Amino acid sequence: MAQPRFWSGQAIGIAALVAGALVWEIGAQFANPAFVAPFSTTAARMWEYAASGTLTDALASSLAIYVSGMAYAIVVGVGLGLLLARARLLRIGLESYIMILYSTPMVALIPFILSMMGFGFAPKVLVVFLFAVFSVLYNTLEGARSLKPELLEVARSFRSSEYAVWRDILVPYTLPFAMTGIRQGIGRGLVGLVSAEFFLSGSGIGLLIIRSGQDFDVPGLYGAIMVITILGVALMAIGRTLENRFAAWRGLS
Amino acid sequence: MSMAMDQRAPAHETAKAPQGERAPARIRARGLGKRYGALQVFRDIDFEVGEREIVAIVGPSGCGKTTLLRCINGLIPLDAGEIVANGERVTQPIAGMAMVFQHFGLFPWKTVTANVAYGLRMAGATRAEIAEKVPYFINLVGLAGFEHAYPYQMSGGMQQRCGLARALAIEPNVLLMDEPFAAVDAQTREILQFELLRIWSERPTAMVFVTHSIEEAVLMGHRVMVLKGRPSSIFEMVDIDLPFPRNRSTLLHPRFAKLREHVWRCVMDEAQAAERELHV
Ligand SMILES: Nc1ncnc2c1ncn2[C@@H]1O[C@H](COP(=O)(O)OP(=O)(O)O)[C@@H](O)[C@H]1O
Ligand SMILES: [Mg+2]
Repeated sequence: MAQPRFWSGQAIGIAALVAGALVWEIGAQFANPAFVAPFSTTAARMWEYAASGTLTDALASSLAIYVSGMAYAIVVGVGLGLLLARARLLRIGLESYIMILYSTPMVALIPFILSMMGFGFAPKVLVVFLFAVFSVLYNTLEGARSLKPELLEVARSFRSSEYAVWRDILVPYTLPFAMTGIRQGIGRGLVGLVSAEFFLSGSGIGLLIIRSGQDFDVPGLYGAIMVITILGVALMAIGRTLENRFAAWRGLS
Repeated sequence: MSMAMDQRAPAHETAKAPQGERAPARIRARGLGKRYGALQVFRDIDFEVGEREIVAIVGPSGCGKTTLLRCINGLIPLDAGEIVANGERVTQPIAGMAMVFQHFGLFPWKTVTANVAYGLRMAGATRAEIAEKVPYFINLVGLAGFEHAYPYQMSGGMQQRCGLARALAIEPNVLLMDEPFAAVDAQTREILQFELLRIWSERPTAMVFVTHSIEEAVLMGHRVMVLKGRPSSIFEMVDIDLPFPRNRSTLLHPRFAKLREHVWRCVMDEAQAAERELHV
């Protein structure tokens, strides 16, 4: 029963995308070419970029920053989240800082990072990290804290060591929540990446966008934006897959 | 009460053990008292549980049955008195004691096999021991075929079978049962009661069985501790001189109805205090 419905759902989704591309293509014929490039020209320019290596170079440079920043965000966010869930005093001490930073628009910190660390690889990684880490941290912490105290008592009743509590209870229980945080962080980190590449020294996809804009290369601009969009969609799909995978025991998937 | 509160003989004999053959106590509790802040839950609780004895605790909801079990398990500290189990003063959970929880307490991210293995792993069992014992205990509680099921895929009764297997797997000499069958339907409850009695008679241990069902207390216990009052204390220790092994026919025993009636009066009616001076 689920299979045909799944496929008809996919078909409608694809049809909608094709229709969107058609509207774009036709609509662009009536618009000012200084602002709007049709779908076909945009796709052709992307193909050109890809063939010349411009796109792969830009992607490689951007992804290096993104992956590093996300790796730190995941390690620090999950690790600190779990630790804070277990260590009450530490949590009480740091809670207000986490709330403040979680609510701060991270873009506001970019000039500060620029003046502290200048241009280069590290400050961009820091920006991606800062954009992503609080989603991961917050979701992990709230997830870990939603663990029923009864289950911790079961663990104590069976004489579990603190290490066993982490390995057998805290980590497996919290993983799905951490994954939700990571999925959110993936999107925020991408915003961080583009912001860093705009406002710190231009590089990667961000630079491609800036250059195309400055050169009035409308198809190039659209192409670069589409690359970022496709990247975002792909990363979100990965995030969602991971999230569902670790939530099997909740009987939700 | 005319009956002496003696310790019980081994299970395969009848409960009418010769006087003086007192089995050594597995649990000794003296002068127990517990408060949560301003709320005094219970006080002056003294009792012993023999090596092969089931003590059922019955009392109304909120009288402190769970709290008492948590104290025996060493999960929370007492405010007065002391508990000695396996010759060890209980201040934290000790080896050889296992609890079956009212809320089952299964880990939802673990399969039946992993849940049953948990206690064994915490007790430091080897891989080989775990591989051998886990299927045995899954089988014993009638969960064969559900080894890879997650708790959410099982009924309440099956979940509690799993909780029971997890506790039995460490082969404890003290089993603590906190209203284990209160959250399952009536038919399943009856089935589980008799299965537990069968399992117990194959390997008798000390057991503290908390329930709010008078019938269940009389069916399961060598003795029934009636908790009552605010703060609660032991209103009466009732000897249940019904023969073991107990099974469905125990329910038809003429003594059963009498004892149930007696415990009922203890629980229900303060004014019947004088009644307990009469013969049961
Ligand atoms: N952790 C706790 N903190 C404060 N009060 C509690 C706590 N646990 C239980 N109580 C109170 O202690 C009393 C006894 O509870 P409990 O032992 O769960 O009773 P029972 O198991 O007999 O229903 C109740 O009034 C309950 O509200
Ligand atoms: Mg209770």
